[in-house]
Amino acid sequence: MKHIWPFAFGRRGDELQEEIESHLRMAAAERVARGDSEQVARRGALREFGNVPLVQDITRYTWGWAWLEQLVQDCRYAVRGIVGRRWFSASIIVTLALGIGLNTMVFTLVYTALLKPIPVPGGARLVTIQNRSLIRNDRIMPMSYPDFEEYRSQSANLFEYFEAGSNIGGILSEKGLPPQAYAMQDATGGFFLMIHAKALLGRAFLPTDEQPGASPVVVISYKLWKERYAGSREVIGRQVQVNGLPATIIGVMPDGFSFPNNIDLWMPFKHTPDLDKRDHRTQWGYGILKRGVTLRQANAALNWIAARLAKQFPEDKDLGASVITFRQRFSGGPVRIIYLLMLGAVGFVLLIACADVANMMLSRSLSRQREISIRTALGATRWRIVQQLLIESVLLSTAGGVLGLGLAAAGVHWLDLATTTIRPYWIEFTIDYPVFWYFAGLCIVSGLLCGIAPALRSSKPDLIEVLKEGAHSAGRRRGGWLSGGLVVFQFALTLVLLTGAGIFIRSLYRSLTINSFIPARQLWAAWLQLPDSRYKDSDARMRFYDQLLAQLHSIPGVSHAAIVSNVPGLGAAQQQIELGNRPIANPVKRPWISHVAVSPGYLNTIDLPLLQGRLFNETDGSADHEAAIVTREAAARLWPRQDPIGKRFRLFDDENKPTPWITVVGISANMVQDIQTSDPKPLLFLPFRQEGWSGATLIVESEVDPVESMRKAVQSLDPMLPLFEPSRLDKNVSYSRQILFLSFLGDIFLGFALIAMLMASVGIYAVIAHATSSRTQEIGVRIALGATKRRILTLVMKRGLWQIGCGLVLGLGAALPVAHIMTLLPIGGVRSEPAILMAVAAVLASVGVFACWLPARRAAGLDPVKAIRYE
Amino acid sequence: MKPRAQQYQNRIELLQGTLDMLILQTLQWGPRHGYGIVQALRTESSEVLQVETGSLYPALHRLERQGWIRAEWKQTESNQRGRFYRITASGKRQLASDLNRWERMVVAIGSVMRARPEEGEA
Repeated sequence: MKHIWPFAFGRRGDELQEEIESHLRMAAAERVARGDSEQVARRGALREFGNVPLVQDITRYTWGWAWLEQLVQDCRYAVRGIVGRRWFSASIIVTLALGIGLNTMVFTLVYTALLKPIPVPGGARLVTIQNRSLIRNDRIMPMSYPDFEEYRSQSANLFEYFEAGSNIGGILSEKGLPPQAYAMQDATGGFFLMIHAKALLGRAFLPTDEQPGASPVVVISYKLWKERYAGSREVIGRQVQVNGLPATIIGVMPDGFSFPNNIDLWMPFKHTPDLDKRDHRTQWGYGILKRGVTLRQANAALNWIAARLAKQFPEDKDLGASVITFRQRFSGGPVRIIYLLMLGAVGFVLLIACADVANMMLSRSLSRQREISIRTALGATRWRIVQQLLIESVLLSTAGGVLGLGLAAAGVHWLDLATTTIRPYWIEFTIDYPVFWYFAGLCIVSGLLCGIAPALRSSKPDLIEVLKEGAHSAGRRRGGWLSGGLVVFQFALTLVLLTGAGIFIRSLYRSLTINSFIPARQLWAAWLQLPDSRYKDSDARMRFYDQLLAQLHSIPGVSHAAIVSNVPGLGAAQQQIELGNRPIANPVKRPWISHVAVSPGYLNTIDLPLLQGRLFNETDGSADHEAAIVTREAAARLWPRQDPIGKRFRLFDDENKPTPWITVVGISANMVQDIQTSDPKPLLFLPFRQEGWSGATLIVESEVDPVESMRKAVQSLDPMLPLFEPSRLDKNVSYSRQILFLSFLGDIFLGFALIAMLMASVGIYAVIAHATSSRTQEIGVRIALGATKRRILTLVMKRGLWQIGCGLVLGLGAALPVAHIMTLLPIGGVRSEPAILMAVAAVLASVGVFACWLPARRAAGLDPVKAIRYE
Repeated sequence: MKPRAQQYQNRIELLQGTLDMLILQTLQWGPRHGYGIVQALRTESSEVLQVETGSLYPALHRLERQGWIRAEWKQTESNQRGRFYRITASGKRQLASDLNRWERMVVAIGSVMRARPEEGEA
């Protein structure tokens, strides 16, 4: 226990050396005494003693911490080697930096999007609570207020906080400013306390603001404050109207805050009679679990309550409860798979980078064989050499990693900027501890990955051969298949990556061109919501819409105007359907179908061709004139090989109540109503009159921007009514968000694939160039003996071409299943297309051939005289 | 039949144990340095035992770790610095038990080697 500290073993090592030295001196002295000359005596003593460094090594092992000493020694040696071969090391470091940097960046993305607790105290325990339908695949849905209260009061032992809110539109109006609509959260009093949210100005609301009789207050977002009130501090205490009712602004939230997602206005709950109905489901629950309470326990407890409620109240029949993490609710689903796919893709890039580095080290190790042979001859064990080489590669990869961390930090910053418009506010891209550990692990693993093959191989050199002849002739054959294998592996991986990117980009292109018949550049859309307080029934609403349509038609430059429930591409309502001649008694077995409600002019407005039958007229949709137009796809699914015109069906609402029988009057061409799926799914058009919804989207075809005229038309009918999100159809926010997301992913994948291709090409170039340079003499002889340029070219390129060929064949084998898997992903419009595979393979092959051709051309142009003398 | 590896291990153990005992024995007569130990073993065994330095120094350092010998730097007769090893009390106890074991083994091996066949080729 005397020698614990590192400096102690340095001293002890010196002692050992001195001890051996004194041994040698004594032995020599004795030989001198016997009559030998000094020199002969010294040599004799040394010979008698044996291998001095080896004895030192073995003796040190008995000290127990020889490994540490060796490690330090190896590190020192490795650093010397790395610094000594500056360019070689730099190229390795840059390659690894690219690989590790990309991986760290993507891991940051994935970790942030999927795993990182949201940045509030107790964020890891933040959950959402909602109902789920036991008869509709556990689809989640909001709770009714009375149910929420039961859940809350009976689960006090599980939750630190249990609050609820509903997403409703909030129309802010006051004197001197036009009414404007915002996303509003109507929430229980503890909403802000739950997430420890403090206001930037004024205060957030408290449970006391929810009590009956409390004066009505509203909290606004930073964005709203800046845009509507130009950041004026006088805004606190301002009297405004929200949805026509007076309220006082009491607080402005900090920049970026929009909990739970994209909210600009928050109001404490007001207890309206509707709220007490158990079938009025508007509440989404949010809660923070108590420490130690698992999701499973919370789910079990709430479901038990739900089961009891289901027995007690008919409205709650078939309802269960669901508690999921906040993360899962807002970034679960298909997105998850995409992120994991991305992680996989970038892992490929790292593998390719490692293969590159391994290849460089292999070629390097050929020239190092002499050194290693000498060390082996001097008694170094194989493991000692492997260990030393691995330390060198881990050091290199760490250096690459540090550089990569810089790259990743820049990338993460870019990611943060690039996604500000398309990510929820609580997602922040930063490099955290878990990311750092992942990064550190990557450095070591990739160092081992790219070092192990060269280390194992070069630690077992053919001693005599190498010492006798030099590395050139000895290493070639054995090094060949290993580095060749690495190149094949690289090309195969790159092909898979490029295929993935190709499929992504192709599907992006497809989703840009779906519904190409729609003149999106001339179509303008905006939506409005008729408040129940002023438009009591369907008749009142239809009167308003009829008047509005007439006004819209009279705007100069407007050629078509129509009303629709959902803009093309952004989904549709779904209801269960039953056909007239095939009654289905069991509600669970009824199929679901998408439908949009439209005014008579809609099909003409979006230029969707009618194939058969007639368009809607003004009487369709009124009582006893229930009608529908179906797409060709819907017709083929619902009435295969029959004429659907005149057929009847009915739909069922959430309460399982059927609509009157609806008659099919026309068949339209197919269209894609939901770009998430991008395939034309069966779709029904119903007359707007039939549905009489309070919300509607106005859609207008016009040569010039009609938004102002549209707003005026609306205001002339109802001055209190705002127009939401007016935009040209091709620039629609949510629509372009979808596209942005896809194109963002497409960019990333393409980037990965290009980097991979570059690396693979550099890899094959390096291998061929090295192989060629070690054959310089041979090539010189061939040229001198009369070989033509062509022959030299084929000689040099043959091996590279073989490797590319094998790589491509293997890659095709792997890319086919990958392409197939991608088509199964629910990310819209992904199709496996052989054309993509072929194109990608062709590109990769030509790049690879070019990379082989460069060194081959140089070899063919060699001066035979110089080449033969080359060493 | 014993597995190869085990046979191999036994051989090593025997040699090692013997060398340790021999070193302790030479130190019984007074402190010595490594070279002195080699010389002593050689002369005492009438030039039969030739200790490899590759075994001697690791053994010395191992014995020191066990606490059976202690080392210090001193001047030699020829006025040179040398690392002298001295046997400790626990080293003496170890030597006694090693010697005991060794003697029993010599007797055992001897009786095997000198045994007459009791049956077989009369």
